Amino acid sequence: MPAGQEARAAAEQRPLGNTDALARIVGGEVRRNEYGEHVAVRRWYAEPESCSPKPEALRLLAPEAASALSDPQQWLFLDTETTGLAGGTGTYAFLVGVAWWDAGGLQVEQYFMRDFGEEHSLLLALGERLRERPVLVTFNGKTFDWPLLETRYRMTRAIEAQALRAHLDLLHPARQLWRMRLQSVRLTELEKHILGWDRGPDLWSQMIPQLYFDYLRGGAAEPLADVFRHNQHDLRGLAALSGKMLSLLEEPETADCEALDLFGLSRLLRRRGEMKRSRQVYERALAAGLPGELDRAARRELARLAKRERDFGRATELWGELAGIEVGFSSAPDARLKAASTSDGEMDTALEAYEQLAMYYEHQARAPQRAAALTREALAALGEALQTGNITAAVHRKLRARLEHRLERLERLERRAGRGTTIWA
Amino acid sequence: MGQSLAVRTSSGLAAGVRGTIEELAARDHTGEVITAIHHIPAREAQRVAVPDWVRPELATAYAAKGVTELYTHQAAVAERVRAGRNVVVVTPTASGKTLCYNLPVLNAVLENPDTRAMYLFPTKALAQDQLAELHDLGQRLENSFGVFTYDGDTPTDARRAIREKGHIVLTNPDMLHTGILPHHTRWTRVFENLKYIVLDELHTYRGVFGSHLANVLRRLRRIARFYGSDPQFICSSATIANPGELASRLIEADVDVLDENGAPAAEKFMVFYNPPVVNRFLGIRRSCINEASRVAQEFLKRGQQTIVFANSRLHTEVMLTYLREANPVPPGQPEAIRGYRGGYLPGERREIERGLREGKIRGVVSTNALELGIDIGSLDTAVMAGYPGTIASTWQRAGRAGRRSGSSCAVLVASSAPLDQFIVKNADYFFGKSPEHGYIQPDNLEILINHLKCAAFELPLGPQEKFGDVDLPELCARLEEAGFLHRSGEHWHWTQEVYPADTISLRSVTSDNFVIIDITGEAEVIGEVDFSSALEFVHPKAIYLHEGQQYHVERLDFQERKAYVKRVDVDYYTDAVRYTQVRVLECAEHASVTGPGGRAHGDVLVRSQVVGFKKIKFFTNENVGAGRLELPENEMHTTAYWMTLERPLVESLPFPISERQAGMFGLLHALESVATLLLMCDRRDLGTAIGERPPSPNVGVEFEEAPSLEEIQNLTQRRGERRGNAETDETKEYFEPNLYLYDAYPGGIGFSEPLFRVHDLLVAKTRELIAGCSCEKGCPSCVGPAGEKHERAKEAALAILARLCEER
Repeated sequence: MPAGQEARAAAEQRPLGNTDALARIVGGEVRRNEYGEHVAVRRWYAEPESCSPKPEALRLLAPEAASALSDPQQWLFLDTETTGLAGGTGTYAFLVGVAWWDAGGLQVEQYFMRDFGEEHSLLLALGERLRERPVLVTFNGKTFDWPLLETRYRMTRAIEAQALRAHLDLLHPARQLWRMRLQSVRLTELEKHILGWDRGPDLWSQMIPQLYFDYLRGGAAEPLADVFRHNQHDLRGLAALSGKMLSLLEEPETADCEALDLFGLSRLLRRRGEMKRSRQVYERALAAGLPGELDRAARRELARLAKRERDFGRATELWGELAGIEVGFSSAPDARLKAASTSDGEMDTALEAYEQLAMYYEHQARAPQRAAALTREALAALGEALQTGNITAAVHRKLRARLEHRLERLERLERRAGRGTTIWA
Repeated sequence: MGQSLAVRTSSGLAAGVRGTIEELAARDHTGEVITAIHHIPAREAQRVAVPDWVRPELATAYAAKGVTELYTHQAAVAERVRAGRNVVVVTPTASGKTLCYNLPVLNAVLENPDTRAMYLFPTKALAQDQLAELHDLGQRLENSFGVFTYDGDTPTDARRAIREKGHIVLTNPDMLHTGILPHHTRWTRVFENLKYIVLDELHTYRGVFGSHLANVLRRLRRIARFYGSDPQFICSSATIANPGELASRLIEADVDVLDENGAPAAEKFMVFYNPPVVNRFLGIRRSCINEASRVAQEFLKRGQQTIVFANSRLHTEVMLTYLREANPVPPGQPEAIRGYRGGYLPGERREIERGLREGKIRGVVSTNALELGIDIGSLDTAVMAGYPGTIASTWQRAGRAGRRSGSSCAVLVASSAPLDQFIVKNADYFFGKSPEHGYIQPDNLEILINHLKCAAFELPLGPQEKFGDVDLPELCARLEEAGFLHRSGEHWHWTQEVYPADTISLRSVTSDNFVIIDITGEAEVIGEVDFSSALEFVHPKAIYLHEGQQYHVERLDFQERKAYVKRVDVDYYTDAVRYTQVRVLECAEHASVTGPGGRAHGDVLVRSQVVGFKKIKFFTNENVGAGRLELPENEMHTTAYWMTLERPLVESLPFPISERQAGMFGLLHALESVATLLLMCDRRDLGTAIGERPPSPNVGVEFEEAPSLEEIQNLTQRRGERRGNAETDETKEYFEPNLYLYDAYPGGIGFSEPLFRVHDLLVAKTRELIAGCSCEKGCPSCVGPAGEKHERAKEAALAILARLCEER
């Protein structure tokens, strides 16, 4: 007898309602459908408040699915608690939490299987909710939760996985926006630092599978209440995070946040092809003051953008700052890059700046001599960097070949220019 | 033998390999070196028309490759497969076995494009080889089917396409086990339409690997059933005595055996070469490595393309060094003699294979890596340095030599090992009907339980299910108690966070590799060596040989699994000394035997450690130094059979203690040889050790101290043996030794109990082996090499055996 039928047969023997110990503890009820029973919990939260996203913000957040996302009434936030992280056919989602905007707040609903036999019933209930709201919003759900649920549906050989209209996974934009400020962009970290929430004591998520296994083997239901709470928190955090991201993206140029987040924002804009707006935010981030390494990274990226838009004034200014020389003077030997004291990334950035400046002087400013001088400086710095071990031999080889090639061409130009002078003199 | 040797006396041997064989025979003045020259006459092909049910486009594609008719066995297989039967086709090398399965499978795919097939090869390299063949056919058929390899090297982004579009998936048992079955929902299309499973090189699936595979196939059939399919099996095997039995144990269904070969073959000679005895007193023969190099050189210098097989990596490199010295190339010219083995990088291997096919490479020295399938064309001669361990692999290696026309030759050069000596002295045993059986034990509890866990992970275990011949509900209950499973209704579900297949290797203890990094100049990875052999080959100060170049191991980073080496040029190589201890954990069964003594089997803990190494000079094999090593210990739970020699027996032996002990080690050496014959297993599948019988069942007492540098220096040539410190400790008067033969595999592979049961036969045959050996005082063929201190080892071993064989 298939697992579903078995469970159904067993279920018909039991009374419904919240007679179940676990259902009572978590404030839920036992529900029955054609595949048997499962426990469901419903809870409404005034916080976070429902959000109505601006199309413009949606376009920046998820360009590929902006129109599918336009109606937030179709959104279904989803987060699963599983028996492991390994994936594969032997990992189960024993608690599936979903949430949607309702009555100005957030309606959370959780489906729980008290035993494996209740999985079919749980999946059917989830499928019904997904049919009503086929736009999924998750955190890392594209890699983890949804493929796992798809596997679970396939394993039933009876219930089809609901086709999604769209799936918005907030992990990737969250990474772009906040990885620079926070080492880890796990949902709990974002909740704490971005939303400023304090969850209070929460369980250690590695414990979750074991808590469930203990319960399965006849352990008490009480410890699982923490898992339900944890899942509710995650769903609220997820919903709030989507609101936070969307409001940030409504008017990114004027968004009120700290320098590091502005930097993240400018990168996100750049990735979306919003060059002008991206530049504005880069400038704001620089003005707000970034820590050393990131300051250089931001200048480098901004310089590239400026160059691409043919704003050579701003680009050369930035490259000059990066190379540690003042642009405009014929040479500045004292300000030369101090290879010995620089780090790997700095060296790399500085060399790029030199090279870019040389290119600028060669092609835009038509000053090959200046370009050649810069290239020579870059070569000297490169040599020092190799000696001090700031770059690997392979990188050195590659960069040197490129610089020497340029210098050769520039010197040829110089010589030709030199000859020209004598002829005309 | 008489019939075989007839060729030798006829003066008909002319040019080509015949000339070389004649030359070798002429030099054998005593007539003791060439023990057999077996002539296999050329054979005509037996052909039949392509069956009329074969789709015309497929027949055309084959015709374009020059196949317009089928060999009789190919047609027979195709017909049986079409009739829905499971088959195993038994064929020698180069008899067109690939077509046996490709023809019916491709025909089915062309008839119904939903059809899916899975081919399993024991190695990744073999799958690559088949891929080339199928791509060629695919191009001729306008790419009407998709074929892909799916293994550890398959890029992640290509995997989805393979699962959706591949009609034929070429993979290996390991990938099926860890990559496909636990994720079967991603393979829904394949499993729903799975019609055929091809098991190539079936005879390699014996012992541990076979027992694992049988369980993997149980899982596979379970998943197929879940998706409503019931695949048919097409197997191919080299010649063994029981291909049908092995196949039906593996797939647990009836199998038709097809062993009438219809392929043609050119004339061939098989020569047995026993290196001359240099010291009759000690029973020492000339080194089989040196002799094999010499024989190979005879062929090479006459321009005959030759493959030399060694039984170890070390020997590959040693022979490569010899042969390169004998065949110098002008500076700047590419080497004409190459090495080939597992540790070489893939690109290098492809280049060598190509060089052999094109004839640019005249000689290759290889491990068994070139024994199976890989296309290197056909060579003139195969020289085997040492018996490959089974008759089936001897024929497969010999099959590497074999031109379409003209003669070819294979020479087996025997080592002093007992099996080698037995084979070259008993040619009839070899050339008669194959005596070799492939045995597996799919219901070995250790192996089965591991796969049962995987099965539960893949799909909950149902109430009516069968998984091998075990009490499933009882096993599931035990697994539930241990926290692996949970019963819900009537189904058992997996309840662990871990992924069980990850921790279960089908072949070895661990899948760990050590990377070898040459730091002579800019650091460069030159190869890899697997975990179990790493400590033997790349221990600190070892000389590691790669492509004939010597490297000194500067540093071994055990944590990071890296060995840093520098190129050197020295006149010695190193040989590691392993030290093994056995502790009895639980005695499963015990019985007294005459002697007095005891026999028993049960669970043991084996600890082994590489404790030192010896430096051995090239050519002279002189011991020129030694070193101690402090390396981590390896621990393994396994099963063992052991024999206890009780105090009255030991005391009754008319020998001083040191000689009694030498006799015990000698006896163990011979017991191991006989055990491998009785069990039809590889010598590597068994380990041996001697330990003191524990005073109480739970306390084991062994030789506890690590050996001194001097001891290492005095150790006998063979690795892994140590004549315990008791020999220098005359106070151990009450020594009651246990002679252990343990399964060299964690958890055991089920050899111990059979050995316990055949104890009497084992002892009797061992006595025959030692008593029948022509040496005077012990030699590698019976009790092991005679050492200076242990002159009476053979005598003592026989005395012990006499007591053990006494009538009660």
